[in-house]
Parts: sequence; structure tokens; C-alpha cells
Amino acid sequence: MATDHELSDFLKSVERRAFKRTAFAVRDDEAALDIVQDSMIRLAEKYADRPAAELPLLFQRILSNATMDWFRRQRVRNAVVQNFSDFETDAEGGDFDLLETLQLSEDTIGTESAADSVGRVQILLQIEQEVSQLPQRQREAFLLRYWEELDVAETAAVMGCSEGSVKTHCSRAVHALAKALKAKGITP
Amino acid sequence: MNGSRKTFDRPTTPGPHLEAMEARLALRIAGRLNQRTEALPHDISERLRVARLRALDRARELRKLTTTPAHQVQGGAVLVMAGPPSWWLRLASLAPLALLLAGLLLIQRSYLNQQIHAAAEIDEAILTDDLPPQAYSDPGFAEFLKSPRSVE
Repeated sequence: MATDHELSDFLKSVERRAFKRTAFAVRDDEAALDIVQDSMIRLAEKYADRPAAELPLLFQRILSNATMDWFRRQRVRNAVVQNFSDFETDAEGGDFDLLETLQLSEDTIGTESAADSVGRVQILLQIEQEVSQLPQRQREAFLLRYWEELDVAETAAVMGCSEGSVKTHCSRAVHALAKALKAKGITP
Repeated sequence: MNGSRKTFDRPTTPGPHLEAMEARLALRIAGRLNQRTEALPHDISERLRVARLRALDRARELRKLTTTPAHQVQGGAVLVMAGPPSWWLRLASLAPLALLLAGLLLIQRSYLNQQIHAAAEIDEAILTDDLPPQAYSDPGFAEFLKSPRSVE
């Protein structure tokens, strides 16, 4: 059973990312805050007696369900459109070179000067914007897998899909992000 | 056409090398997102903190409910009610229902008694009253007189 301290530490470690992830999905900070709060309380009410190691997966699942509930309640047409956009493919991405983006990215390590730090915030903003513009399922898979650091099986469990779908969504998300960032001259 | 086909296939079946590159790039992007997350506006951080504290309070309340005995004497004088309802509380909650059932049974019984008394009064009035002479001309009454029961 997770102690109060463990539960507190867990929520503290996850709350900011949970908020951003939800805000990416619902595009409304107030709604995202409400959803995160509801998810935290739901976790505390129903699963506080579970071992601390189980909390991350449980919380992510609760948060995803709460977000879906929000969409159902809101019946926002855009959410449906976003879901359908998961099936779209990018016809212009055939000759895109992921390695080039990665090399550019790694070449810049340690080269940031004090003058660059002002622009860095803008870059972070643009990266965030690109992430928020990913199709919903791709973004969900990308954030769970690489931001929340769940493994493929856990991500699949949270998203309610197969592990193959998670890999596909993640791969497409990374390619889309790399391409979009490269087009803007940004090296993540 | 070929280009789009190629794009569709490549991410679905990435080789180990491509997967590793994707993962490295993804983790770098995630690292950047972390930097942004650290700089959340104060009001949002504060609301998240309040939400966390609420959740923790709720967890504590529920733990207390499941671990505290039904009633606990504190300082030898104060009776504190907590935890799930005890057996006598459950019994007490059934008392109104039992009272209602008892009342209904009582009403039914008194109604039945009233009916019996009323029927008895009518029978008594008929039996003790003088028999009208016309009764002997009634075939039904004559049959009644002839029946073995009337002989008894």
C-alpha cells in the first residue's frame, strides 16, 4: 500500500506533465486543471491502497479516461475531427531524413550562448506548439511513451490499443515533429 | 504516389536503427517539453498543488474510515462515531421498517375483528328475532328445515 508520502511524491512528480498533456488534448487550461484534479482525487479515492509502483500506470489510465469523458461531455466536433485525422498520412514526407534532424540536433549540444537563451524560450514554445498540433492518438502515444516514460505495453494498456499501434503512433509522431521542427529551423 | 506509400510503410515497420534514432529524438523533444513544464505560470502551479493536497486529504479520510474502529472512547467521556456503520446502527435503521410492518399487521387484525363482530351481530339479530310466518311458505326455508344440519 502506498503511504501518504509516496502518494504525495508521486502526484507532485506527475502533476505538471499531467496538466500539460491534458491541456494539449483539450486546449483549455481551466478544463485541463479540472480534469487533472478529478483524476488525482479519483486515484486517491479508489487506488490509494495499491502499491506505489502501480500508481503511474493507474494514474495515466485515469487521466486518459477523464480526458475522454470530458470530450464526450463537451461533444466538441474538433475532437472527432482530430480522431479521424489519425488515419491521414503525410504525402510529402517521403524524402524526409530523420538522421539529418538528429545529427543537427546533437551538433548543437553545449553550443548555446547567453544570447541564445532569449530565443530558447521561443523555441520551447514552438516545440510545444508542434506537439499540440499532432493528431490526438499520436500525441497521446508520444507523450506517454517518451514523456511519461511508460514502456510500449503500458502505453498500449493506457491507450486501449495494441503495442503495434503504439509503435506506429510513436513513430509517426516523431517523424512529424522532426519534420515540422526542421522546417522551422529548430533543432530539439 | 510512391512517396506517400513509402511514408506510410516506413514508420509502421521501423528497423532497430531507425527505432533507436526515433527514440533519441523523441527523448530530446520530451526533455524540451520538461523544460517548458518547469516554467508553468504560478497560478497553475498553485492550483495543481491545491488539487494534490485535496486528493491527499481524500486518501487520508478514506484510510481513516477503513482503519478506525466503529466507535472509540476518547478520554473516557466522548464517544466518537467513525468507520462503517456498526451492527446496532444497521439494526436501528431497520426499526422504522419493523414498526411500520407491525402497525400494518395490527390494523389488519383489528379490521378483521371488526368484520367478525359485525357478522356476529347480524347473525345474532337474525336468530333472536321472531320468525315471520311468511318464512314457512318460502321453499328455501322449508328445504333448510328438512336438511340434516337443521335437524341437529
